[in-house]
Amino acid sequence: MTDRTLLRLEFEQRYFEEAALLDQDRLEEWLDLFADDVRYFAPVRAELGRGNEDLARGLRLSIFDDNKDGLKLRVARIRSGAAHADEPPSHVRHFVTNVRVLQCDGEKATVASNFIVFKSRHGRDETLFVGRREDRWAGGPGNWKIAGRLIVLDHNILENVTVLF
Amino acid sequence: MGTTSDPATLIDLADRTVSPKIFADPEIYRAEQERIFGRCWLYVAHDSQVPNPGDFVTSFMGEEPVIVCRDLDGRVHVFLNSCRHRGMQVCRFEQGNARSFQCPYHGWTYDMTGRLVGVPDFRKAYYEELDRSKWGLLEVPRSAAYRGLIFASFEERAPSLEDYLGGFRWYLDMVLDRSASGMMTLPGVHKWTLATNWKFGAEQFSGDNYHTMWAHQSAVRVGLAEQFGGAEPWQRDFESATDEGHGWINLTFDDPPELNEVLGPYLARLREEAAKRLSPMQVRQIGCVHVGTVFPNFSLLSFLGFLSIRAWHPRGPDRVDVWSWSLVQRDAPQAVLELARDVQVRTFSPAGIFEQDDGEMWTACYQTLRGTYRRRFPLNYQMSANHGRTDPERPGLLHPPPTEIGIFGFYRRWRQAMADDGARG
Repeated sequence: MTDRTLLRLEFEQRYFEEAALLDQDRLEEWLDLFADDVRYFAPVRAELGRGNEDLARGLRLSIFDDNKDGLKLRVARIRSGAAHADEPPSHVRHFVTNVRVLQCDGEKATVASNFIVFKSRHGRDETLFVGRREDRWAGGPGNWKIAGRLIVLDHNILENVTVLF
Repeated sequence: MGTTSDPATLIDLADRTVSPKIFADPEIYRAEQERIFGRCWLYVAHDSQVPNPGDFVTSFMGEEPVIVCRDLDGRVHVFLNSCRHRGMQVCRFEQGNARSFQCPYHGWTYDMTGRLVGVPDFRKAYYEELDRSKWGLLEVPRSAAYRGLIFASFEERAPSLEDYLGGFRWYLDMVLDRSASGMMTLPGVHKWTLATNWKFGAEQFSGDNYHTMWAHQSAVRVGLAEQFGGAEPWQRDFESATDEGHGWINLTFDDPPELNEVLGPYLARLREEAAKRLSPMQVRQIGCVHVGTVFPNFSLLSFLGFLSIRAWHPRGPDRVDVWSWSLVQRDAPQAVLELARDVQVRTFSPAGIFEQDDGEMWTACYQTLRGTYRRRFPLNYQMSANHGRTDPERPGLLHPPPTEIGIFGFYRRWRQAMADDGARG
C-alpha cells in the first residue's frame, strides 16, 4: 500500500471509532477527540446561484457554532436526564464514507469525509441527516485532535437536529 | 364546513377550551388556508433583505410561494411565484438581484413590476394576438411594511396593516423602533421542519411562559435557564392579549454578568435613544424578555436586547416549516452583531438548546391529538381566565405570567376568522 492509502486508512479508522462513540452514547469520550480550541461549525444552506453560497463563518447564521465549552454544554444537557428531545434516547447510527486526506504535513492534516446519520424515534419517526465534514486535525501521530470541524449538511430545511456529527 | 367542524363548537368561549380537531383535521386545515391564510396579513420579508432596485427574496404566504422584490423605481412588490402560462415558478433562487424573471419552462419573461414583457414566438405562434397586458405576474392584492416588516394579504378588502396590528403596534415598537438607525437582518435564514400543526408554535409564542421550566428543564439543569420573570408583576412581568388576537409575553431578566462588557454600553445607549421615540413605559421594558405572535403565523422572541423573528409556514395539518431570522440594529457594533448571531444560533435554531425541546413537544402533542377518541375531549386554556386587567398605559388585557389569556386570545381570533364565510354584502 502507498503511504497515501495508509494515511487515509489511519484517519478512516479514527472516524469509525468516533462513530462508535457517538452511537454507543459514549459522549464524554467523544469530547476528548476535540482540541481545547476547537471550532465546531455548521453553516446554514441557501439556494443561490452556482458558486454564490457562502459557507464561511461570518455574521451569517449557522446550525452549529460551538467551541469546546459549547460541545461540553450539549453533552451535559443530554446527561441532565431532562433533554426531552432525546429522552428516551433516539436510536442513532453514524456512517462515514468517502474519506480523503486533503493535506497532511505530519503535525497538521485536513481530512474530508461524507456522512449519513440515521435517527429513529417515536416508533415510526425516521430521519436521515446527510452531509460532508471537513476536519482540521492537529497534534501529529499519537496526539491527533480535531481542531476544527466544518459540517456541511445537505438539507435546505432541517428536521429537529438532536444528533451530533 | 359541516356542523361537526363548526368553529363555534371547536372553540368554547365560555369554558375556554379548544377541540383537538383544529390541529389534526384535514378539512379544518383546508378551511384555514382560505379563511386565515387567504385573508390575514402574513409576514413575507424584512425590507433590509431587498435594499436595492432589482433585489428579490422568495418567501411563502401559507402554502403559496411568493417573490418579494424591489422594482427599479424602488417600490416593493409581492408576486405569486408562478408563471401565468403553466404555473411554473419563475424565480428559483432564495435571493438575488435581477432585472426580470424569466420562466424556465417556456421563457415567458416579466419585469420587476410584474409586467409580461417577453413571450417567445409572440409573432410566429401567437400572431401578436396575445394581450400581454392581461397576463402579468399575479401581484398579491395588498402589501405594506410596518417598521421594516413587510406583510401581504390576499384579501383586497383587508383592513390596513396598521389597523390589523392595532394595539400590538405598541409592543412591536418596543423592539423595532428603539433607534433612528432602524434594523436589518443578519445574513442567513434558519429553516427547519416539524411533523406538527403550525398552530402549536404560534400559540406558544402568543403567551405560553408556563412551559419554560418544564419543557426546557434540561437547560435549567445546566444553568442556561431559570424561572424568568416574577420580580415586577404587572409592571415588567406581564402578558398581554390585544383585541386583534395578538399576544405578548414580557419578563424581567437579569443579563448574564459575563456579557456586560459588550451588552452594558449597548443597552444603555439604546435606552437613551429609545427615550426619544418611545413612551417611558415602553423604555422601562428594554432589557426584558419579549415573546409575541402576530396572528396568525408571525412570531418574535427578544432577549439580551436581540430580536429573533420567525414565520410558521403551514404544510398540511401535520407539517410546519419554520423560517427564522435575526434582526439587529443597523448601527450596532461588530461585537454586538456577533453576540446576536451566537444567541440565536445557540438557543432558538434547529439545533438550539431550547428549540429542540419545543420541537419535540409540538410533534408529540400532534401525535396524540390525531386519535379519534382523544379528539372528543377538549384541551384546557382556562388559566387565569377571568383575572385579566386593563391598563391605560398598555394595550390589551394584561396578567402576570404564567397565564393563558394571550393564547386564548389567539384562539378567539382564530374562531372569528374561521366563522367568517367570506360572504360580502
